[in-house]
Amino acid sequence: MSDHDELRNLLIDFFGLSSAVQNEELSQSSLPAWDSLAMVQLIGELQSTFGVEFDLDQIQALRSYSEIRECLSRKGVNLAG
Amino acid sequence: MNDTGSVAEGSAAGLSNSKARSKSSGPVHWWIRDFPARQREAISEAITTGSLAKVRRALRLIQELAVEQQGPPLTVELLSTYNLEPILPVLELGLKCLPTCPKVELAPLNDLEGHIVRSVPRRADEASARIVLWRIEEILPGVLFPLSSGFPEQLTAQVDEAISRAEGIVHLHQRHAPGTPLFLSTAPFPLHFANPVFAAQHSSGPLGAVERFNRHVRELAATHQSVYVLDVCAWAAALGKSYSDSLFDLMARQPLTPEGQMAFALFLARSLRPLIFPRRKVLAVDLDNTLWGGVVGEDGIAGLQLGHDFPGNVHLRIQRELLELRNRGALLVLLSKNNEADARLAFDSLPDMLLKWDDFAVRKVNWEHKHENLRAASRELGLGLDSFVFLDDSDYEREQMRQLIPEIQILNESGDALQILRALWETDAFDSLAISDEDRMRHRDYSVRAARDVQGHENDLQAFLESLEMEVAIEQVNPSNLERVATMLGKTNQFNLTTRRHSRAEVQQLASQPGSVALALRLRDKFGDQGIVAVLLAQSGQNGQASLTIDTFLVSCRALGRGVEDALWAALIARAREQKVQKLEAIYIPTPKNTIVAELYDRLGLRRVEGSSSGTRYVLEPVAPATWPAWISNKNGNE
Repeated sequence: MSDHDELRNLLIDFFGLSSAVQNEELSQSSLPAWDSLAMVQLIGELQSTFGVEFDLDQIQALRSYSEIRECLSRKGVNLAG
Repeated sequence: MNDTGSVAEGSAAGLSNSKARSKSSGPVHWWIRDFPARQREAISEAITTGSLAKVRRALRLIQELAVEQQGPPLTVELLSTYNLEPILPVLELGLKCLPTCPKVELAPLNDLEGHIVRSVPRRADEASARIVLWRIEEILPGVLFPLSSGFPEQLTAQVDEAISRAEGIVHLHQRHAPGTPLFLSTAPFPLHFANPVFAAQHSSGPLGAVERFNRHVRELAATHQSVYVLDVCAWAAALGKSYSDSLFDLMARQPLTPEGQMAFALFLARSLRPLIFPRRKVLAVDLDNTLWGGVVGEDGIAGLQLGHDFPGNVHLRIQRELLELRNRGALLVLLSKNNEADARLAFDSLPDMLLKWDDFAVRKVNWEHKHENLRAASRELGLGLDSFVFLDDSDYEREQMRQLIPEIQILNESGDALQILRALWETDAFDSLAISDEDRMRHRDYSVRAARDVQGHENDLQAFLESLEMEVAIEQVNPSNLERVATMLGKTNQFNLTTRRHSRAEVQQLASQPGSVALALRLRDKFGDQGIVAVLLAQSGQNGQASLTIDTFLVSCRALGRGVEDALWAALIARAREQKVQKLEAIYIPTPKNTIVAELYDRLGLRRVEGSSSGTRYVLEPVAPATWPAWISNKNGNE
C-alpha cells in the first residue's frame, strides 16, 4: 500500500472512505455505495483521470480495485503503488 | 497609445491570462468572491477537473461555513425525463456557487405530471423554482427512427401530442403551484441517430421535430406568467458533442460527460440567478481604446479607429452592445481621462460614432481619479456602488477600481478590444428573465443632478499606488533610447509642457551639449515592463552653466496619475544641484490638448514670472531639493 497509489486514492476520495481501508475492501460487493449509479460516475472519473476509454465488456469487469487495476494496466496505464 | 510595441505585448499577456482564468471559473469566480480562500480554491479545482471526489470535497468545505455566509435559501425541484440522480452533487455545487443554500428535490424519473399533481403549494416567501427537463429520446422516441414510425404523417401527429403535453404541464403547474416560477427546458438536438443527411431535409425528422417542439416551449413561456425557458438546446449546441456520451446514456440514461455535468450545473445556476440576485444597473465605461481605437488626445480625430473595417469594427460592435444594454434598461456612465472638448469633438465629428453624448446618464470627462468620479456618479444617480459594473482597457484603472471600490464588478480582464467585446457577450452582470417597459424607458428618467462633492480617498489611493510596485530607472538620453524618446516627442500631446516636436538629430544635439540634462524614465510595475514613459530635456542657459532651461517635459498618456513626473522632476533637481545650477527656468506653452499640465509647475513649487505671448514662464531660484515619491522605488539608488 502506498500514498502514491493514484487508483486507490481515487476510489477512497470517490466513495469518501477512510485512508486505512484495505485494497480488498474496495469492491462492489463490500461497498453498498458502489451501486449502478455510482458505477456510471466512477467510469467517467476513471476515463478522465487516466485518459482511457473502456469497451463494453471491460465495463462489466470493473467491480473492484484489483479488476480496475488490471484493466488499466492492460491499457498501458502506468500505476504507481 | 504612444507605445504600440508594449501595448501589443500587454494585450497578448492579458489574453492568455483571461483565457486561463475563464476556463477555470468563468462568472463563478465573481459569484463566490466572499467565500474564504480555502472554499474558493476547492470550488475552482472541482470546476476545472470535473472530478466527483473534488465536487464532494468542495461541498463539504462550503458546508463548514456559517449559514449566513452560504447564501440565501433556494428550493429547486427537478422534473426530468432523463436520469439526474448521479449528477445531483454537481448540480448542488453549481447552485451553492451562486451563492445559495439550495434544497434540491428530484422527482421520480419521467414522472412529470404525477409529481406536479402530488406536490403541495409552497409559501409565497420561499424562493423556489420548478424545472422541467426533457429530450426527444423520451418524449418523442419515434422521430429517431422516422421510417419505422410512420414518416411523415404519424410523426407529425406525435410531435403535436408532445406539444399538447407541454401545454398540459403548464396548466397543471399553474393550478397546483401558482407563484412558483416554472422553467421549461428546450430539447437538445439528438446526437445519436443515423442518417443526419436525410434528417436535415424534413420538418418531421429528428431535427425538425426538436425545432417545432422548442418553438412551442418558447411560446408557452411568452404567454404565461412566471413560465420561463431554460434553453438546454442552445447550451448543448454551444458545447457541442463534448457534453454528451452515449455510453453513460445507455448505461444509466444519464447523457452528460463529467465535463458536461459541471458545465450544465453552472448553466442551470446562471439561469436561476436572476430569481435571487438583482442585476447590476449601471455600466461605467471609458473612451479611448474602448469606444474607439486610439487615444483622442494623442492621435487626434483622424487617427482614431472606428468603422466597418477591422479593427475599427470591433469598437463599433462594442458601441452596439453598449447601446443595446442602455435600451434594455442599464444606465451608461462615461468615465474618461481626457479634455472634455476633445471627447465631445470625437462624439460630434466621428462619422461612425453610434453612441451619442446624451446616451450617457452621467459623464465625467476630466483628469480626476476614476474612482472619485465613479463615487460622484453613484451619488448623482442615487444608486449604490454595488449596482455598478466597470469597463476599462487600462490594467491600471481596473486594478485601482478593484482595490478602492471592491463592490464594483469589473467587466473585463484584459484591455484587448476583442476581449472587451467577448466580456460584453459573456457577462452575467445584466442578466434578467424579463425586460419591462420601465426598463426600456429608464435612461430617460435619470435627469442628473450636477452637484458633486468629491470626498477624499487619499489614504486608499496611496495604498493603491504602493500596491502597483512601481520601479523607475532614470536613463540618460543615449543612442539606445533615442528612437523611443524622439517618437514620444513627436506624439505626446496631453502631458507635454511645450509640445516641441524635435527631430532625432535635434534631440541628440541637445543631449550632447555641455551642461545639458537629458533624461528618460523607464517604468516597471506589477503588470510588467512599461518601457520609457517620460522624458525631460533641459539646456544650459545663455548665462553659462549656472542656469538650466527646461526644453521639454512630457509623460506618456499610459502613465498618467501615478507620480512618475514627480520622480523625473526629483531626478532633474538632483542633477541640477550636483552641477551647482543656481536657477531653473521653464515655460508652459498651452495647446488645445495639454490643459492637464497647465498648473504643473505651480504644484512643483516654481514661481510664475512675467508671461510671454507664447506661454507662462516660471523660475526656480535657488534650486531647492525635490521629494522623490515614496511609492516609487528608484533603481538608480536614492536620489
